Amino acid sequence: MLRFVLKRTGDGLLTLAALVTLTFFALRLAPGGPFSRNRKISPEVQANIEAAFHLDEPVIQQFGRYLWGLAHLDLGPSTRFRDYSVSDLIASGLPYSLTIGFWAVVVATFVGIGFGLIGALRRNSATDYAVGVIAVTGIAVPIFVIGPLAQVVFALNLNWVPVAGTDGGWRSLVLPILVLSLPNIAYISRLTRSAMIETMRENYVRTARAKGIGPTRTIVHHALTGAMLPVIAYLGPATAAIITGSILIETIFAVPGIGRFFVDAALNRDYPLVMGITLLYGGLLIAFNIATDLLRGWMDPRVRHG
Amino acid sequence: MPLTPTTANLLSVRDLVVSFRLPGGAMTAVDRVTFDVKPGEVLGIVGESGSGKSQILFSLMGLLAANGSVGGQAVFQGQNLLGLTPAALDRVRGVSLSMIFQDPMTSLNPYKRVGDQLAEGLRVHQGLSKSDAWRSAVKMLDRVRIPDAANRARRYPHEFSGGMRQRVMIAMSLLVRPALLLADEPTTALDVTIQAQVLDLMAELAREIGTAIILVTHDLGVVARLCDRVIVLYGGRIMEQGSAEPLFINPVHPYSQGLLAATPRLTDALTPRLGTIPGTPRSGGAMLPGCPFAPRCTVKIAACETTQPPLTAITPDRHAACHLTGAP
Amino acid sequence: MADLSPLALQLRRFRANRLAMVSLGLLTCIIFACFFGPYAFPFSGEDADFDYISARIDLFSPHPFGTDEFGRDLLVRVLEGGQVSLTIGFLGALVAGGIGVLYGAVAGYAGGRADSLMMRAVEILYGFPYVILVILLSLLLGGGNVALFAAIVFTLWLTPAVIVRAQAQSLAKREFIEAARAGGMTPRQIVLEHIVPNCAGVVIVYGSLLVPEVILAESFLSFLGIGIKEPQASWGNLIQAGVSEMETDLRLLLLPGGLLAATLFCLNFIADGLRDAFDPNDR
Repeated sequence: MLRFVLKRTGDGLLTLAALVTLTFFALRLAPGGPFSRNRKISPEVQANIEAAFHLDEPVIQQFGRYLWGLAHLDLGPSTRFRDYSVSDLIASGLPYSLTIGFWAVVVATFVGIGFGLIGALRRNSATDYAVGVIAVTGIAVPIFVIGPLAQVVFALNLNWVPVAGTDGGWRSLVLPILVLSLPNIAYISRLTRSAMIETMRENYVRTARAKGIGPTRTIVHHALTGAMLPVIAYLGPATAAIITGSILIETIFAVPGIGRFFVDAALNRDYPLVMGITLLYGGLLIAFNIATDLLRGWMDPRVRHG
Repeated sequence: MPLTPTTANLLSVRDLVVSFRLPGGAMTAVDRVTFDVKPGEVLGIVGESGSGKSQILFSLMGLLAANGSVGGQAVFQGQNLLGLTPAALDRVRGVSLSMIFQDPMTSLNPYKRVGDQLAEGLRVHQGLSKSDAWRSAVKMLDRVRIPDAANRARRYPHEFSGGMRQRVMIAMSLLVRPALLLADEPTTALDVTIQAQVLDLMAELAREIGTAIILVTHDLGVVARLCDRVIVLYGGRIMEQGSAEPLFINPVHPYSQGLLAATPRLTDALTPRLGTIPGTPRSGGAMLPGCPFAPRCTVKIAACETTQPPLTAITPDRHAACHLTGAP
Repeated sequence: MADLSPLALQLRRFRANRLAMVSLGLLTCIIFACFFGPYAFPFSGEDADFDYISARIDLFSPHPFGTDEFGRDLLVRVLEGGQVSLTIGFLGALVAGGIGVLYGAVAGYAGGRADSLMMRAVEILYGFPYVILVILLSLLLGGGNVALFAAIVFTLWLTPAVIVRAQAQSLAKREFIEAARAGGMTPRQIVLEHIVPNCAGVVIVYGSLLVPEVILAESFLSFLGIGIKEPQASWGNLIQAGVSEMETDLRLLLLPGGLLAATLFCLNFIADGLRDAFDPNDR
């Protein structure tokens, strides 16, 4: 088991390293520097600014400087918000994004698995179809359509929650979390349902039934593990999807999280901020993928024995 | 479970019918099959693929597919298995009625330790504690000749070879000391070199405990090796049945004769050709009005295609369903 | 049962799936409306009609579904937006699928070092939250519609590649490939003539999901302001405009949103139907 853990962690670090390098060089090679969109400034001022941000040095040197900064958890200054460093900006937005993202994953997982199991065990019943409809809606109707509609219905008309912003305490988070989790609820419930149906057909479940241990025990002790494996494998991509979706959610619901910073930074060529957030997301995702792989290794002995 | 020494039948199957609802219509897999099993005896059911032999076992165990339905009765220890609710059936399955399946590679739960899977039956049905059940499991693994049983019990199925997994299955099904063991082609998926070993082990253990076996197979050699009595099945109907050795020496039904002629024997002269049965086995579709074997029979008469020959006694120990061997 | 080729059987199964067939019909109507509908009107989506600013729905007026705050007919704009979204959708899926299939087929067939390297690259790219990748790429390629298209395609070819590679791997071990090699076929020939065609089933099933994914990606980006930009219409940026008006005038949101949702629904049901038809073990 230990070897498996080490290998996965090593793989993850390698991927992270590739991520850092790729992003850094890709951005440097992108057309236009961080200041080319501003109003006209004299060449001398431009040169000074560039020097201050070390943009005049050879690219390799800039990279080295960046890596050194990383080691000290210093992501450099933002080129757009001159008074703030990237770390400051990320720190200010992170709590919102993390909270919403975390709860969205939790809700999506539990509700999704629950719906999927109900669908599998009560096939073709009314509940199954109802769950199916929710599933297709979540997958087909985009977040940026559901989000505003939800705002219109629940906030503007029913007044249950505030429309946007973060002033309403936990109430402000309800809609963002629910809307963000919807596509994943849909996907996870479909995945769980088909995985469960397929697992129930397996020969070893038939053996369990032949032992007369009863339907509950058969499902919980024998079918569930096999059914959950594909779902857990999906949790990694699910988190990626939630990160993606959170950018939209933050825009729609006016939440000052790092998703919004990212879009702004990209549009304004604020390299350090883009890099910082990319690293953060990438690192998070890699960590999450390692965690789910480890979980699968624990559940399926064939995986950890190589 | 303790068996009362009696010559009364352990299992009485009467007019068992198994049919499936398919998109193209209904299909009868087993057509009014009737037989008995005595305590401790080994009954072989032999037939080609599609003869319905496995479905007989599945229907007894309540493991038929969702589109299947049964008719007739199967009285086992005073109860009609075919009429039991799933809950009642669970008190019989894994208690006095066990089954082993054809493919050992997929019949064990890959995510649980082998010892746990063995112990499960004891814990659920006999209420044994975890440690007691585990101890019994290890002892049984040893009995089926798994080396280093105590350690092996902690392993997972993928760490065992096919033959060993099937021995684990045998151990698992006999650990609860059932009165009847259903074996569905237990060695078909195994290497030829170990088939005999596994079969002998199964028979030996069953004899020790006093378990009767219904052994389904398409391999006549397997039947000859182990079985006291034999049923020859074709197209869902019994063609011939009786004590094994006499049947093999002197088959009466054209199908049985064909089967045995197609089996090479060491004592045969070196003939250039192996006997074959013309045609292909029945696959799906409705039952024919006459004898199911008629399309392939080399000695059929007119009546064979219009009326089904009933299963009649040729001698007290032999029954056959053929117009040509009809009752005197 | 009649003797039909596997393909004919699969098509028959698809046709039997009513939901998929209805979706196919509806989708065809939507496509038709988007590409030919605008011709029914004497104006285009960019023409401002100053007599009718922010007009409401009035089926008997020259602007049956009303106009936006610039006097542009809403229906025509939505239909024109549909042209953009649908074109990018199908074209993008085709290109992404094509790249993915080739990449996957080569990796799966080659095996060994080449395969690990290629799959490692895929893994790394997979690790990016998808929108980040698209935005980065879009920037790199200078913004603009071509960049957008390239960026979307570049993020979406990964999944077909992974799936085809798995298929190719199992195919590569089959005897007929061995026979082809023994017969003197070059690797390039084998990949193009044997591996790729045999992945057709898998590709159709998973590839059909690519179309709604591309449309969703483009709408998403246009909604954020990174994709198709004003004054050119796309469902994404129309929805965004609709959101800013949603407190007072819902129809600016509902018309493009509804049409987008309907299109995605249809595409998903069709993809489901294809999957059921080509792989009947599901459900």
